[in-house]
Amino acid sequence: MKLSYLPGCTLKTKAQDLDLSTVAAMEALDVELEELPRWNCCGTVFSFADDDLMHQIAPVRNLIRAQEQGGDKLVTVCSFCFNTLKRASLLVKENSDKLDTLNTFMDEEEDYTGNINVVHLLEVLRDEVGWDQIEGKVQNPLKDLKVAAYYGCTLHRPKEAAIEPPNKLEALNDLITALGATPVDFPDMTTCCGSYQAVANPEIVINRTREILSSAKESGAEMIAVSCPLCECNLRENQKELGELRMPIIYFTQLLALALGVDPHLHQCEKNPADARSFLESKGLLAACTAAE
Amino acid sequence: MGYPESLKNLIKKIEETRPDRVEKKKAGIEIPAMTLDERATLLEAHHPDCIPGTRRELKVGPSQGYAVAHEFADLLESKSRVDPDKVDLSQIDYETDVLVIGGGGAGTSAALLAQENGAKVILTTKLRHGDANTMMAEGGIQAADKLWKDSPGYHYIDTLGGGHFSNVPELAYRLVNDAPDVLHWLENLGMMFWKKPDGTMDTLPAAGFCRSRLHFAGDITGAEIMRVVRDEARNREEDITVLEFSPVIELILNENGQCAGALIYNMETEEYSIIRAKATIVATGGSGRLHIQNFVTTNHYGATADGIVMTYRAGLKLKFLHTLQYHPTGCVFPEQLEGLLITEKFRAAGSHVLNVDGEQFVYEREPRDVEAAAYIKEANERGKAVPRPTGGWGIWLDSPMLELIYGEGYIKREFPGKCKQFGRHGIDISKEPMIVYPTLHYQNGGVEFKETGETDIPGLFMAGEVGGGIHGENRLMGNSLLDILVFGRIAGANAAIYAKEKAQDGKMSLAHVNAYNKEVEEAGIETEVVSPMLLPNYIEKKVRDRQHSSHYVGNIR
Amino acid sequence: MEATETKMIPIYIMGKRYEVPEGLTIMKAMEYAGYQYIRGCGCRGGICGACGTIYRKPGDYKIYSALACQTAAEPDMYLTQLPFFPANHVPSNYAELEGVPEDIYKLYPELFRCVACNACSKICPMDVPVMDVIAYIKRGDIEKAAFEAFDCIQCGLCTSRCFAEAPQFHIMQLARRIYGGKLAPKAKHNAEAAQAVREGKFDAMLNQLMSMSTEEIKKEYIEREIEPETAGDDWKPKDAKWLIEEFLR
Ligand SMILES: Cc1cc2nc3c(=O)[nH]c(=O)nc-3n(C[C@H](O)[C@H](O)[C@H](O)COP(=O)(O)OP(=O)(O)OC[C@H]3O[C@@H](n4cnc5c(N)ncnc54)[C@H](O)[C@@H]3O)c2cc1C
Ligand code: SF4
Ligand code: SF4
Ligand code: FES
Repeated sequence: MKLSYLPGCTLKTKAQDLDLSTVAAMEALDVELEELPRWNCCGTVFSFADDDLMHQIAPVRNLIRAQEQGGDKLVTVCSFCFNTLKRASLLVKENSDKLDTLNTFMDEEEDYTGNINVVHLLEVLRDEVGWDQIEGKVQNPLKDLKVAAYYGCTLHRPKEAAIEPPNKLEALNDLITALGATPVDFPDMTTCCGSYQAVANPEIVINRTREILSSAKESGAEMIAVSCPLCECNLRENQKELGELRMPIIYFTQLLALALGVDPHLHQCEKNPADARSFLESKGLLAACTAAE
Repeated sequence: MGYPESLKNLIKKIEETRPDRVEKKKAGIEIPAMTLDERATLLEAHHPDCIPGTRRELKVGPSQGYAVAHEFADLLESKSRVDPDKVDLSQIDYETDVLVIGGGGAGTSAALLAQENGAKVILTTKLRHGDANTMMAEGGIQAADKLWKDSPGYHYIDTLGGGHFSNVPELAYRLVNDAPDVLHWLENLGMMFWKKPDGTMDTLPAAGFCRSRLHFAGDITGAEIMRVVRDEARNREEDITVLEFSPVIELILNENGQCAGALIYNMETEEYSIIRAKATIVATGGSGRLHIQNFVTTNHYGATADGIVMTYRAGLKLKFLHTLQYHPTGCVFPEQLEGLLITEKFRAAGSHVLNVDGEQFVYEREPRDVEAAAYIKEANERGKAVPRPTGGWGIWLDSPMLELIYGEGYIKREFPGKCKQFGRHGIDISKEPMIVYPTLHYQNGGVEFKETGETDIPGLFMAGEVGGGIHGENRLMGNSLLDILVFGRIAGANAAIYAKEKAQDGKMSLAHVNAYNKEVEEAGIETEVVSPMLLPNYIEKKVRDRQHSSHYVGNIR
Repeated sequence: MEATETKMIPIYIMGKRYEVPEGLTIMKAMEYAGYQYIRGCGCRGGICGACGTIYRKPGDYKIYSALACQTAAEPDMYLTQLPFFPANHVPSNYAELEGVPEDIYKLYPELFRCVACNACSKICPMDVPVMDVIAYIKRGDIEKAAFEAFDCIQCGLCTSRCFAEAPQFHIMQLARRIYGGKLAPKAKHNAEAAQAVREGKFDAMLNQLMSMSTEEIKKEYIEREIEPETAGDDWKPKDAKWLIEEFLR
């Protein structure tokens, strides 16, 4: 299977591990993610102002690139890109006048027809590959590993753009199960990590991190799986002061790659008191993948 | 768009002779190359440098009696743009350690090195910073840095051979010796040399060189150099102040005979200002816009020999200014592309050079000067050149025949840039030939200076195309971008040291300008010309004739 | 040959009508009309970026751009030149840059305001895909940005159109320099040669050549071995007279 793929800027800079583990894992599942030859920053944050079409140009231009590539889906894995692109795609699908305006504005591009379905990688795993298939391909079952699935905000808000009904978030837990690990019952799976407040109000993010980590700990989790580079960064960076609450943060794609026996692109981080790699090593779960490296 | 009917008819003659010519070419039958003696005779009779009556002996100044082109002489035997007595030299507008005149490659590299050696620098330039011949160089820059097959020694031998062994040896020595270091410097400043994956710099062979040592960055090497050094100068804005659209009109000396700064002219407000400097570097570039003998030129808009004029007035001697480089294949049609360089690669690949009857009259692979002389002979003596619709002559360069030799698509593949440029004007050079004629390209000589960048005037330094001697009577391709950086850097560093150690205070003076004006008068020269020229005037004659108030009349010009 | 009768065409320079001969470049047409350039003209060869021009055509909403020195004037062109557009150059200590994308982000954070409107690429007279270059920089691909932006002549037209108010051409210049000096593989042979020069290793050779008579140096010139055009870097000269032993391969 071949699918158009937009990694997003963060995956090419700060979160390269997310990009690399995604591509490696999907290859092991016989899904070729074909990166768009030209793409722009997704726009980062969906613009709320109803008539602010300026900020829909970037996402819709990316949809045109996907259309040019010939498919009907565009896969993203960064939760932010997903959210922005998904909502833009819905906006122009539902408002043909806005689509017309944008198409007329981008007179150097072919018209966007409104038919690209923006999907998150978890949706691809669930709908195109299937949990059973994944389970069948696991080489390195993540036995005895208790994982808290953390969704953050952007995969299920607003509900039109959610990958699952917001009151029934299952995909991440289903994946964890398929990989041989144990998902824990984690009430804070959708508590916001503080997001961009990291810049202006770092205290908010530290408090949120404490809240989320302690809840995960109470649920019996050993690590937290995320999909968003910003969540990953916030939850990891703000642990320093949190002593006992510390816990490794990992991208779900890294768990997937690890279980499939391909390089999970886990980098040792000496400075990180709760380093995912050392933790997995201590659990004896790295053996198969070090061979793969 | 495209060739007019008249030229289309002439192209038919080329198409008539083409099949036969291509057959011969394929069979290895060429028209004979010239012997050394034949070349010498041709050059003497038809190279623009040698045409009788195109030069005259200077009546005034330090090189009195030396014959240069009339266009140079007209500027040198003229008066200053200003009346020195009207200038109040006690009103200093800017003070600096080192003043650099000219914002091309030589000037900008000088500014950087002066700054690195502790000087505060003002760089003043006529147009925008970087609007200069340096920006236009396409081909590349020479340096012997592949030492397993090359050395500065071979580079030296080549350079002297190219210059007909007339080069000033000390200057040539520095040129070749410092070359690898200059490239190293550029690399470390972030220039994008074309390289192999292991970092080895790509090099190309070039006419007159025994080794492949032409380094390049795409086909815009000069622009890449220029924008890198310019960006670096902008990084150092605290120490390097750039004044644009402010050409220097005259140098200012002091009572000790040292150079003490310059008089600049704001071309927009028409105001003059005074810069006092402990050391001054002249890097004003070349002179193509003088259109010597009415030749078109490849040079930038501001290449008007200003540096020669101001330093000559101040007392420096000329050197090799009698030789100019004409590139044989300058584009002369369509008019929009006039002056555009047609790369030597066409001739190297075997494009025939043809007259109006579609006949070959010179082997296409003669050296630049010989080739140029042959075209001029065909036009002036034999009257067999191609008449241009806008006046003047041209020579056919048969590019389409390359398609017949190397296969269809060759031209588009090998000359994408030229295809695009001509294509814009409706000419498909894979099907139609080009019209070329020699174009004024480079000032081989200039003003005398030393390998330390110094001149005969203390405190006055020099670098770049304005100087004469490095290349003797003829410069080789790629040695010029090199020379401007080698000597720009040397002049910059030495000027900074001079400013620190040797500069003396002294009363500033423009007496030398007065003296020169007087000399011109006494020589009985009657002229309307004032110099430096600053910019050519291309306004249509009809309009010019009606510009009745050439200066202030009432409140407005 | 009779000069073909030149057809005159109307053009509008900053709104004022002039008749100029067909076929002239915009630059020459303006000169024909009576303008003497101080600004807006530099190389006259399409590479210095001084002559950026904006024009419209009747009955067409689009904004067109051109280099005045490269583009033929067309009938009814409504044009102005844009010889200068303010663009902040943020100075940096180049030697101390680390060669990472963050070097650029720190100096020009406004590049993140890009909304992908593409007005920049559309106006660029050199066909630089400016929007894409900014996108490459955002995602940290400096090499790609450097090569895609290689043709930029810094005319400033893109900057005049930018919704993000970013000085793209300075940003791209920085990207090229970071690539050229800090990311591209270094030329070892050149560093070695530069070092040799600094150590004076060629002084003796050059002094010997410099002291030769014209006849002697002519002989060296005529007899020197010529590297064949297609030889390549592995070529070994037969004659090593002016080579230095320690560098031979
Ligand atoms: C089309 C073309 C192609 C070329 N190709 C090559 C090549 O491939 N390889 C090579 O080695 N060489 C090449 N050359 C030659 C080479 O580019 C130039 O000789 C060299 O760049 C000159 O550098 P410069 O700094 O001395 O002068 P310039 O780069 O011309 O700079 C002179 C500066 O001085 C300024 N100036 C002039 N008068 C005044 C004044 N009165 N006051 C203040 N400022 C003033 C000018 O505006 C300009 O900014 C080429 C030249 C041309 C024109
Ligand atoms: S990228 Fe911008 S500054 Fe560079 S040439 Fe294009 S429009 Fe001009
Ligand atoms: S003009 Fe500015 S905002 Fe628009 S695409 Fe270009 S860089 Fe981005
Ligand atoms: S004048 Fe330099 S690009 Fe047109």
